[in-house]
Amino acid sequence: MDLLEPLQSGIERRALLEVALLGGFCGALGYWITTFRLSYPAESLAHGLLPGLVLAALAGVPLLLGGVVGVAAAALVIALAGRDPRVGSDTATAVAVTGLLGLGGMLALSPDAPTRLEELLFGNPLGVSDGDLIAAAVLALLGCAALVGLHRAFGAVALDAAGARALGLRPTAVRIALLGLLAAALAIAVQGLGSLLVLAVLVAPAVAVRGHFDSPGRAMVAAGATAVVAGVAGIYASHLLGTAAGASVALTLCLAAAIGAALPPRPGGRPAKDATPAPHVPATGPNA
Amino acid sequence: MILDYIYPVSLLASLPSPGDLVELPFMRTALIELTLLGVAGGLLGAWIVLRRLAFFAHAVGTATFPGLVVADATGFSATLAGLAVALGYAGGVERAGRAGRDPGDVATALALVVALALGVVLASDVFESGAAVDRLLFGTALGLDAADLWVAAGAAALALAATLLLGRAWTAAGFDAQGASAVGLPLRAADLLLLGLIATAAVAALPAVGALLVASLFVVPAATARQISRGIPALLAISVAIAVAQSALGLYVSLWLDVPPGPAVAVVGSMLYAVVALTRAALASVSDPVPVAETT
Amino acid sequence: MTSVSGDAPMEGAANAVALTDVALSYSGRSPVLDGVDFELPPGSSLCVLGPNGGGKTTLFRALTGELTPLRGRVRVDGRPAYLAQTERTRLDFPVSALDVALMGSLAHGRWWLPARRSDRVAAHGALERVGLENRSGDRFGELSGGQRQRVLLARALVQDARVLLLDEPLAGVDPASGERIEALFRELRDEGRTLLVSTHDVDSARAFDRVLCLNQRQIAFGNPSTVLTRAVLEQTYGDEIVVLDDDGSGGPVRAVTVQHHHH
Repeated sequence: MDLLEPLQSGIERRALLEVALLGGFCGALGYWITTFRLSYPAESLAHGLLPGLVLAALAGVPLLLGGVVGVAAAALVIALAGRDPRVGSDTATAVAVTGLLGLGGMLALSPDAPTRLEELLFGNPLGVSDGDLIAAAVLALLGCAALVGLHRAFGAVALDAAGARALGLRPTAVRIALLGLLAAALAIAVQGLGSLLVLAVLVAPAVAVRGHFDSPGRAMVAAGATAVVAGVAGIYASHLLGTAAGASVALTLCLAAAIGAALPPRPGGRPAKDATPAPHVPATGPNA
Repeated sequence: MILDYIYPVSLLASLPSPGDLVELPFMRTALIELTLLGVAGGLLGAWIVLRRLAFFAHAVGTATFPGLVVADATGFSATLAGLAVALGYAGGVERAGRAGRDPGDVATALALVVALALGVVLASDVFESGAAVDRLLFGTALGLDAADLWVAAGAAALALAATLLLGRAWTAAGFDAQGASAVGLPLRAADLLLLGLIATAAVAALPAVGALLVASLFVVPAATARQISRGIPALLAISVAIAVAQSALGLYVSLWLDVPPGPAVAVVGSMLYAVVALTRAALASVSDPVPVAETT
Repeated sequence: MTSVSGDAPMEGAANAVALTDVALSYSGRSPVLDGVDFELPPGSSLCVLGPNGGGKTTLFRALTGELTPLRGRVRVDGRPAYLAQTERTRLDFPVSALDVALMGSLAHGRWWLPARRSDRVAAHGALERVGLENRSGDRFGELSGGQRQRVLLARALVQDARVLLLDEPLAGVDPASGERIEALFRELRDEGRTLLVSTHDVDSARAFDRVLCLNQRQIAFGNPSTVLTRAVLEQTYGDEIVVLDDDGSGGPVRAVTVQHHHH
């Protein structure tokens, strides 16, 4: 296959750029998302933003906007649901996410709705416009700048929140910053991967690099790089095999995670210590 | 623009008669199906909420998606394909000992992403059945046949029998696993049965509510019931009542708005949860000027 | 090796609990607790001392039959009752004090059937005995720490266990409830039941018939006066022990532990 072939078409060029941008930012951010054990909240927010996407598609406004509104609404609903102590926050989150997914489905599948629900669920990198690309580029670059500025604070709080407070950092503010970046990342990435698959770009690269790098800074950069490589590979694979682009990218990302997890950790590849989960009641299954 | 799609007047004008649920043959079938699933979902949902298995209930449904795609395209039985995946997932989860949601469990989250992505690739590129994806993910009221009813009836019967026979053991295990083990209960077998039953009942629900929205019947009604019940027998009864009412109401909404039943049942259920939660919060602030933290 | 802990009384029932050269591990890895060897006659009390992670809970799990020993034999008279530390999750469960007491009847076999009338009578009786009959309908989670321990004791009574395993039963319990609970312990021993109590309160060990010190292996077993010496305690607790008085004679001393443990 001619490597340059996908680059001939404007659509695929934009798809490649989109995937590279969101991969770089989301992959790097994902390193912190997993370190802070936020993958379940991330997944819940990703599923929960669906109605926002559908409304944006129905109204004809850019999906990025729908993603931002969707994340904000989802975060609010999930936070409100989690307040009942009897039911427990994990269960309440499930109630909220199920309702939001249902709402998205209702809006998108009503008879006169022109939206292609599958693209919102599973992504459509090939549908990216120049405007979308510019917006994504701006946000991704801002996000990466934020990561550069914040990563040492993240590392300190992740390792030892109490100690970080003693150093003058404010763990709560740091966590809020992280969640803000997560919201931005989700809003950017849903166009390419869709509400159901976007978690892959946040979590899989982090899994791929865990244990192979001796400093959080390097691991974060490596995660971003892994995401870009895997994302580009996914677009190429979809071009070659004729498979759905978003799903192909998700699969290559997960493949990277599997490979990275299977490789033995490098000596000195000390994984960053996992932070204690803050708001969740620790889940106890039947065998706890 | 968006105004074109919000036409409340014409929506209200098209309100169907509730009798349609019983008179239209396909609706009758759907109503019976959803009622049976409501019984199963209400009963098992109580245990799901008590034992913190909400994520498992959602995940086991989602995981079946690629199997359903293959079955749909090849004519293989969707129920069997779903059961194979669901029971396999349940067994794997039990062996890993992490049926509850482990906040650090990225492996499961990624496994579900793989399942969904694989299903999409198979559906659109191997089997070229794009329209089926929506039906498999969100359910359908049409096309439910007698076989689906039998499966749902079986799930409801199993849920009832298991609750009667295993309820004491499940309660003791959820309350104090070590004490229950000391008392001689076969905890591993009882929990394996619980996970297997949830998986089986989820598969029964797939045709009607879809792979993504199993939790709409298996988590949401029980969560609502949990807010207002005192003691486990009450929880079970109220959970079933809410689930059955919710599925009937959801089916009605699905007929009215011409959307699949899964999303309608999910939205109705979550709204009911919200109404109950808000009412309780309002009552609590009225009777107790100073908010009291609840323990149970 | 097999652990024999069933409903039938032990053959030659001189001992209520007997461990012979036992090593315990989780999933076949290297032993987390080794060299355990002791016997307890019926109606005696044993205080189990040791740091967190030293093997106290592991020992209890072996006694309930949950853990099969890697080596050696564990024999217990009947099915022991197990009172774990009250953790947060259990407080959320919508069960009443009576429901919890009734759980003890699950030990009588045929747990798949509903509770019988005689079980209910026994549960009410047990609650009365621990002084909580008037709170039988209250949520378990709404009770105080001491009341919760008493309810769990009621459950053990309904179970009619001849051996009781209590994991830090007085932790976080107010002194008044604590005295009540200790009075119940004495009654239980007078009935011929055997109590094994793990605790961080080293001083309280002096009141027991026997003391067992564990720190990944059995360090000492015997009378309090022979076990609670400086040497043994320092071997058990390392630097987590503070000895209060030591006349240098090698006899028993008073000491307190200084680690943090969470409830």
